[in-house]
Amino acid sequence: MSARGKISGKPPNPFASGRSLNHWSNRLFTLVVWVIGICTVLFICGLLFLILQKGLPKLEWSFLFGLPSEIEEGGGIGPTLFNSVYVLVISLVISIPLGMAAGIYLAEFAPDNKFIAFVRICVEGLASVPSIIFGLFGIAIFVEAFQIGLTILGGAVSLAFLNLPVLTRVTEEAIRAVPPEMKNASFALGGTHLQTIRRVLIPVALNSIITGICLVAGRAFGESAVIILTAGVTTSGEMWDFSLFSPGETLAVHLWYVQSEAIVPDATDIAEKAAAVLVFAVLLINVIFRVPLWLNSRKTRT
Amino acid sequence: MKSKFFKNIAFTAIALTVAFGSISMANIADAASKLSGKIVINGSSALLPLTLQAANEFKKLNPKVKISASAAGSVTGPQAVRKGIADIGACDWDASLDVPGFKKFDGQVANKVAVIPFAAVTNSNVKVANLSTKQLQDIFSGKVKNWKEVGGSDAEIVVVNRAFGSGTRVNFQMKALDGADFMTKGDNYKEVKSSGDMKTAIETTPNSIGYMDLVYVTSKMTALKINDIAPTEANVINGKYKVWSYGYYMTKGQPTGATKAFIEYVQSKAFQNGSLKKLKFIPISAMKN
Amino acid sequence: MLQTPPPSPVSNGVELGSSLKSSSGQAFDRKKRLSFYNRSFKVICIASAIFVCLILFTILFFMGRTGILTFDTVSPFTFFFSSEWAPENDQYGAFIFIFGTFALTFLTMLISVPLSVIIAVFLAEMTPTWLKTMLRPVMDLLVGIPSVVYGFLGMTILIPLLRDLTGTSMGDGLLAAAIVLTIMVLPTISRITDDAIVAVPKKYRDASYALGSTRFQTIVRVVLPAAKSGIMYAVILGMGRAIGETMAVVMVIGNTPQLADELFKPTSVLTSNIVMQISNVPFDSSWNYALYMMGFLLLIISLVMIVLVRLIQRKGVKS
Repeated sequence: MSARGKISGKPPNPFASGRSLNHWSNRLFTLVVWVIGICTVLFICGLLFLILQKGLPKLEWSFLFGLPSEIEEGGGIGPTLFNSVYVLVISLVISIPLGMAAGIYLAEFAPDNKFIAFVRICVEGLASVPSIIFGLFGIAIFVEAFQIGLTILGGAVSLAFLNLPVLTRVTEEAIRAVPPEMKNASFALGGTHLQTIRRVLIPVALNSIITGICLVAGRAFGESAVIILTAGVTTSGEMWDFSLFSPGETLAVHLWYVQSEAIVPDATDIAEKAAAVLVFAVLLINVIFRVPLWLNSRKTRT
Repeated sequence: MKSKFFKNIAFTAIALTVAFGSISMANIADAASKLSGKIVINGSSALLPLTLQAANEFKKLNPKVKISASAAGSVTGPQAVRKGIADIGACDWDASLDVPGFKKFDGQVANKVAVIPFAAVTNSNVKVANLSTKQLQDIFSGKVKNWKEVGGSDAEIVVVNRAFGSGTRVNFQMKALDGADFMTKGDNYKEVKSSGDMKTAIETTPNSIGYMDLVYVTSKMTALKINDIAPTEANVINGKYKVWSYGYYMTKGQPTGATKAFIEYVQSKAFQNGSLKKLKFIPISAMKN
Repeated sequence: MLQTPPPSPVSNGVELGSSLKSSSGQAFDRKKRLSFYNRSFKVICIASAIFVCLILFTILFFMGRTGILTFDTVSPFTFFFSSEWAPENDQYGAFIFIFGTFALTFLTMLISVPLSVIIAVFLAEMTPTWLKTMLRPVMDLLVGIPSVVYGFLGMTILIPLLRDLTGTSMGDGLLAAAIVLTIMVLPTISRITDDAIVAVPKKYRDASYALGSTRFQTIVRVVLPAAKSGIMYAVILGMGRAIGETMAVVMVIGNTPQLADELFKPTSVLTSNIVMQISNVPFDSSWNYALYMMGFLLLIISLVMIVLVRLIQRKGVKS
């Protein structure tokens, strides 16, 4: 506001100079945004290309579904890839309902008082807890208190804890962003609060919520610190082991292991391929979550 | 609509879990072996490749034994054993005795499983090929800061160290530096977290010096001679090269049951002369003393 | 509440239609049932919110309980203000790490926030739709790259680059860590900001354009202020990630306990020091307690920062 006032206050021809200055700053702004935008896009594409091109061309089925090897070249990542998906699914099954419910509470039911402000700070605080602390926490709960050892279950639950705060906040923000007119319309039609939330708020906010879930899923898929501590660095050594109490090395952990300790001669090779698979899997997760959404929006549009 | 979608997915997942779970159970039951139980191994990450390989082979022989291994640092091993959350604690030193920085763990038995040689390494641009113990001490304590002081070209030495508490560091300090202290800070000093990070740091940083298990030495770096003796397997076995140590599996008292069988398998001739050698460790039986 | 029959999932899905057909008796049931659903749903939501808080408190308690033991052997003054960290000599001064954490977070935010907001504006306001639908998932993809990969790329590409550009002999340090962290938090901040900008009602923009504003004015004076809450949240989330990130930072920061008075001096922050040493620490030692205390401190720092940002935000809204 103040800047505009200054411009129009200039003596000679306030209107013209103001307009040209506005015009100029607008041009400059557009240019800067475009340049930075394009640079970032190029940078991101370069980064992704760097990771993918090192790994993807060398990918084979035997690598994706084979068993890892400690000595000879040509070890696969089968069980770890499977564990990654399995752990991710379990952690999402736990964290999505809890996180969304908490977010809905904060957005819809919570009174606007000091206590709720405090709760919100708690949630954000939890979001910034370093993952290694969740790992230590997971050890304290699952390994020391429950004595179940290093298991898929422990890893998945610890991972769910890690995801909860982000999901909660994303849901809250998404629901808050729904225009109040829609909510009022639903109430006016006699909808109860629950019906309004289910039929109006969540569907409208779904796009943002899915973005949040994608972010969380991607982070969980790439998380290693928590899993090393709570699910271990071994697999049960066979594909398709659905037992919740098997040790659960995930792909990200395998990547860490291969990068930091493994002695196999083709360790760098495996690391590059594993990284490419990880990135590709995250892409896949994004697509899987978005396609129904996209179809839905097309359906409603026509 | 959405919730139904997720519900369906959840149900499918559960159904699959049950179905496949029972199949894999059936598979296990088919193969017959008397030995059963659960072994949890934790500790040194340097011994992890060996442990994983042994666990794989052992599981094939004894399908009813469940082995889960994880790794953090050497001292985690004996500690986890003392806390009762692991059956075997892999450790780079004999944790039943005192070592610099760490007290002994009472009531634990150290089972030797492998011989691990260590090597001092430099980036391949460093022209120095041999250092005496004294020179190593001076470099790692920060007294010597330039390669020209030990016969190299005029360039600042970048010292790469492992974090205090690392098993490799404990052994290198005891065996190569005769217990002399490391520097703790400096403009050209950094610490890394794992053998892999050490490898990457040495490979990519010009004028750097560090140390690692001989296994991790690659062609992109130089393994230094120490007191004119090259770090080779032969020199370790004939006793000339002193910078090596045993790797240990710590257990609470004498091992029993599945744990005992597993350690015996690792110590067996078949494994020591087979997979262990392929992993470039040295069999314990090769050492004369 | 226990007397009420449990809701069956089937009736849940078709309640609206069935109520139209039902007789008067069931209509009353329906009302009762709906209010029961409403109440129980609210209870579930409250329970979830409380559960999330509970996790934080359990973690705080768990870290604090162990951390507080530090002060049996180390005086709080030494812990907070001494810059001597040498576990081998029983010296536990965490000042360097605390300072490093603040410096690193500040530096990261300094680079990443303006950049992310610009990218969000670019995504939300300037790009054509087809590019948008392509770019957004790509941004999300960046979040999914494991931090070890970032660390590895930082170590093998960024640090040699910095070394060549500046002529220092190492390249590790605050700047390298801040750049890696920027790349890591960029998608988080810009995607959430992007969503916040998109959620600003179109009528605001229309009104602004109708008053004769340029695009620049509309975005800076109308859209961004309207999306402020979302942007703040994005910044907090990004900051949280920056404070808490370990695996990538540890590979590029140098891990040396010395004060970071230059951008290219190997140093250490709370997280990197914890992750470097936690695996090698004896359980019942002041060293271990000191590390837990540092973890506890990390939590407190991020909580304080969040409160500060919230206060600033509230002040901004008032004026």
